[in-house]
Amino acid sequence: MSQFTAEELELPEKKYEYLDHTADVQLHSWGQSLEEAFEQCGIAMFGYMTELDSVEIKQCVEIEAKADDLEGLLFQYLNELLFLFSCEPFLICNKIVVTEFHTQTDNCRIKCKCYGEEFQIGKHPQGTEVKAITYSAMQIVNDVKSKRFELFVIIDI
Amino acid sequence: MVVRQYNEELKYLEKINSYCWRIKKGFQPNMNVEGVFYVNSTLEKLMLEELKNACRPGMVGGFLPGVKQIANVAALPGIVGRSVGLPDIHSGYGFAIGNMAAFDMNDPNSIVSPGGVGFDINCGVRLLRTNLFEKDVYPVKEQLAQSLFDHIPVGVGSKGIIPMNAKDLEEALEMGMDWSLREGYIWAEDKEHCEEYGRMLNADSSKVSTRAKKRGLPQLGTLGAGNHYAEIQVVDEIYDKWAACKMGIEEKGQVCVMIHSGSRGFGHQVATDALVQMEKAMKRDDIQTNDRQLACARINSVEGQDYLKSMAAAANFAWVNRSSMTFLSRQAFAKQFQMAPDDLDMHVIYDVSHNIAKVEEHIVDGKQKTLLVHRKGSTRAFPPHHPLIPVDYQLTGQPVLIGGTMGTCSYVLTGTEQGMLETFGSTCHGAGRALSRAKSRRNIQYTEVLRRLEEMDISIRVASPKLVMEEAPESYKNVTDVVNTCHAAGISKKAIKLRPIAVIKG
Repeated sequence: MSQFTAEELELPEKKYEYLDHTADVQLHSWGQSLEEAFEQCGIAMFGYMTELDSVEIKQCVEIEAKADDLEGLLFQYLNELLFLFSCEPFLICNKIVVTEFHTQTDNCRIKCKCYGEEFQIGKHPQGTEVKAITYSAMQIVNDVKSKRFELFVIIDI
Repeated sequence: MVVRQYNEELKYLEKINSYCWRIKKGFQPNMNVEGVFYVNSTLEKLMLEELKNACRPGMVGGFLPGVKQIANVAALPGIVGRSVGLPDIHSGYGFAIGNMAAFDMNDPNSIVSPGGVGFDINCGVRLLRTNLFEKDVYPVKEQLAQSLFDHIPVGVGSKGIIPMNAKDLEEALEMGMDWSLREGYIWAEDKEHCEEYGRMLNADSSKVSTRAKKRGLPQLGTLGAGNHYAEIQVVDEIYDKWAACKMGIEEKGQVCVMIHSGSRGFGHQVATDALVQMEKAMKRDDIQTNDRQLACARINSVEGQDYLKSMAAAANFAWVNRSSMTFLSRQAFAKQFQMAPDDLDMHVIYDVSHNIAKVEEHIVDGKQKTLLVHRKGSTRAFPPHHPLIPVDYQLTGQPVLIGGTMGTCSYVLTGTEQGMLETFGSTCHGAGRALSRAKSRRNIQYTEVLRRLEEMDISIRVASPKLVMEEAPESYKNVTDVVNTCHAAGISKKAIKLRPIAVIKG
């Protein structure tokens, strides 16, 4: 029996794409809320490292990131995710759920649950390595009125 | 960014000669010095097209073209001479890739910028020679490629096989290749043929975050992914027989091994950590730049010094990393040919760093100055008789290793006096991307790329099929154009051309 509920195992709809950049890749994600765009952006990054279809939910790790502004928060949040993958527990995620989200300036904070499993060569096709997250041409569309929530981030690969 | 029509932008650019363009002050705000870039007619088109595309009004999700980035770098405090774009230049973050800039160490306002080094600190190329010829290797080419692929951990999520614990890592960070030598992974002569003798003395591992060390530990001795590779190559052409001879290359057909890799997750994390620190320093010291990615700190500030010390540790990591893979390559060859690596004459010809900042002495306006030279996607190319190059190359000039792309040629150049004067002893580093990765994935067929490699009789072992499309030669500028431009402009001189016969990639 899985330790996870059916709801936890259910995967979100894909709301991200990869845009052109000469050397690197630009992640573009969106959602019904800024939280959802953040969740999707994280998954988009993992999607570049492997085929997400091959990932099963076997583990859940909670992470937290803080920053002074929204751009910084997005940067730190993706850094935390990259760190999860780069050493213990070598986690590759196909689902992220934001549990806490504060966006006031000088006190931005995000807490989320990351679902996935340990990356295993053989089981998970090797995609491209993400070296780092960049601020380069970073854009955050946070338009509550017209319900437009979008993120653009360039990752260095 | 200053937004002007393309025609207006062109007024700030002036073609000095067939290989060189000048970027005048005013092209971007606050330029302290002028910019310059080296291109031939083919590369010129790519360069200007990038600028033209960026001049479309109302763009979303766009990025700065390389030529604008050269100009932004020219606006950094303390820059001397010119901000230089090499022929393989393309848009990066902050600095363009293929951009070099020097800052006066004695000017208190001078800065150091992690963006001018890049995330992959001390990414570089190493070339090993052998005494084998193509005819010796050809019958066992597939087995040898497989053996190299089995020996060297490659691709996303791969872990190193050189036994390491946290204490070993600390020592390796301080000692660089002296660590590899002590542990018996390399030969003493390897160090001689390496920039800085494979060890930056100002490395201080206490300035490195635990996070970087955690990322680095499992990855030491791994190739990585992206454009990194290990290749078996054969000498295809010798342009400078004497220089080649000094490098132990005697005839066409001789077999070499090229390794292109860097400091892996360790360096990436050091750079990321530094960017965060620098943002604070910039606010405090009120340093103005044209782009947030050009995060920097004064060289003499705590942040600046800490960065240089942790960057040196990352540089040492990269040398140990390439040394570990040198060891593994020697093992693979030794097993295949049942001969000791010694008897195969598998010496390191040279090892270059193309993402690094170094303190060097240069002549600026007739005066000797101590400069902090940033080379991002640019290789040091010192001329003959320079005190910092090894004895064996004192008369030829420093060997410069230019890695091609999957299936294309690589080159060995040598440094020149003219390069020392014009570009602070710097030249290109590789082909430089022309197509975006996403575009490559859309336009290029995986099977088509493999078929063409097969036609060229190149064995390939690759961990990720997607990468084959992204790294296809069509995605890059033509490395021959790039190298010929450097040669024609006189900033370095062609010595040897190498052709791949087997490629191992992430």
